[in-house]
Amino acid sequence: MSRVFFTIWRKEMLDAVRDRRSLMAAMSYALFGPLLMAVAFMVLIKDVVSERDVRIHIDGAENAPALVNFLEARRILEGTEESPAQDIWLEIPDSYADDLARAKPIPIVVRADYSERSLQSQRNRVESALREYGQTIAIHRLTLRGISSEVVQPLQVDRQDTATKGSRAALVLGMVMVFVLMSVFFSGMNVAIDSSAGERERNSLEFLLAQPVATHWLVAAKATAAASFAAFGGILALLLIPVVFLFVPLEKLGIDFAMSWTQQLVIALVLLPLALFASILQLFVSFRAKSFKEAQTYISLVMFIPVAAIFALEFTRFEHPILKMLPVTAQHNVLFSAIAGQPLDTMAVLAGSAITLGLTLVLVGVVTRMLRSEKVVFGL
Amino acid sequence: MIKTDGLMKAYKDVQALSGLSFNAEDGKITGLLGPNGAGKTTCLRSIYGLIKADAGFATVDNISAAEQPLEVRRRIGIFPDKFGLQERLTAREHIAYFAALHGLRNDTLKEAVERVIQELDMADIADRRTAGFSQGQRMKVALAQAIVHQPQNLILDEPSRGLDVMSTRILRQLMYRLREQGRCILFSSHVMQEVAALCDHVVIMVHGQVKAEGTPQALCERTGKDSFEDAFVELIGTEEGIML
Repeated sequence: MSRVFFTIWRKEMLDAVRDRRSLMAAMSYALFGPLLMAVAFMVLIKDVVSERDVRIHIDGAENAPALVNFLEARRILEGTEESPAQDIWLEIPDSYADDLARAKPIPIVVRADYSERSLQSQRNRVESALREYGQTIAIHRLTLRGISSEVVQPLQVDRQDTATKGSRAALVLGMVMVFVLMSVFFSGMNVAIDSSAGERERNSLEFLLAQPVATHWLVAAKATAAASFAAFGGILALLLIPVVFLFVPLEKLGIDFAMSWTQQLVIALVLLPLALFASILQLFVSFRAKSFKEAQTYISLVMFIPVAAIFALEFTRFEHPILKMLPVTAQHNVLFSAIAGQPLDTMAVLAGSAITLGLTLVLVGVVTRMLRSEKVVFGL
Repeated sequence: MIKTDGLMKAYKDVQALSGLSFNAEDGKITGLLGPNGAGKTTCLRSIYGLIKADAGFATVDNISAAEQPLEVRRRIGIFPDKFGLQERLTAREHIAYFAALHGLRNDTLKEAVERVIQELDMADIADRRTAGFSQGQRMKVALAQAIVHQPQNLILDEPSRGLDVMSTRILRQLMYRLREQGRCILFSSHVMQEVAALCDHVVIMVHGQVKAEGTPQALCERTGKDSFEDAFVELIGTEEGIML
């Protein structure tokens, strides 16, 4: 490797480390991503684990004290002054006791706005409690008539959840990994802009290009400097995730989350080509810009693509062999299998990394050509 | 030694250089004098190898700028038209960076940086970050980074623009010193007094061509004018774009 490469890399690193803006950007995504997720999980867990009382209106509660007791045992209560009832009405007819005694169908009304999503789980709980109560009565009646309750339950459905704890974790933790990928893209951004569009804005680009330095080494060194920050941000986020989740009671969600050192090491290695790719892409965009601001605008437009791709994959779980090879999606795939507890497809990982590096080299070539073009450099 | 021969360069609708030929000899200060828009900067950029001429060639120490730009850049020091400094580096780091780009290492590099800092009398600002430097201090850094590798050829693009008297003096003394060492100094300017006072050889260019060249005195004699100013106006045929 060329010594010039290290000279430029060292200078860019020194420059970037002294620039608070770059440092803060690199740190903030890596820090706040996992923290944000941790807070979100805490709220989620509280919501799922503690089953709260459902307060409803009950008309004709006096007609069916046993039913009301049954509902109470399932924490479905009549609204009071302190905890007012929600907009769910349960109507028990006056003929309840008579109909029950004569084994006639009892019309019970559950009235609510069924398009109201926020009340969905409450409605479901009321309905399933009623269904359960109805079934209990049915079984009692059959038993009294000498018929086993098994007669009316020809199918016995045994639900066996094949989701491993790991795969359930994947569903939730996939979001966390999105933050790792995003911090790769955002941590090096300021360094990339500053060493390209910033150089032009400072009027130092022409002088730098007039030095006896092969342009490809210049481009490679600047990309590597930005990539160093990108990788630093990604790895920092990666290391923080297990630390942050020490404080989140994930086991209450039935999620078993453990990330071994080797797993983290593999992911960190997989992130390195992505960091290089992200940085050269950012250099490609911002070398075309005339100023720092302009570059920021272009880059945020371009960065939308990988971020959208990551989110789309995360939500749709779309799979295709090609995706294991392309930059961004290949790395996403590795992260995802790591947290889902799936074995790593070593060939795909290597191929994905190789293709990412290959595209990076192509972009280095393109940017080098750009910097040799007087049109781009002098804006002629 | 810097040489251009028949340099032609056209941008979209402007003919910037149309057959520019001149020599800048070692041990001489050569001034490239021309009104604004005469093609001075384009000419210098072709010498650095940053711009490819449509026709003709530029050589430095008989090496073609178009064919071996890196070899040419090793032999020149550049004081550019606009010099932006890396504001988060100290002056010393700044100079050392460019010395390293020119291939200096370790002790040689340290010595070279130290020497140039002494030479330009900038020890007091050497370890301060360049953000907030005055124009004169910035110029010293730019000069230092141009000569730290002791190039045989020094090219200055409009060097005295915006400089105060003290800075101009430093610049001038440096140029004389380098001339004594037998180096080739080429500087472009549109300021006549400066060129007349400093240069051993003047190349007057207008519209991308050499209009006349010679010592300031010879040019005066040729036009039959007493002052260099009158000679210059006579030669370029207009007063437009000249600074007295």
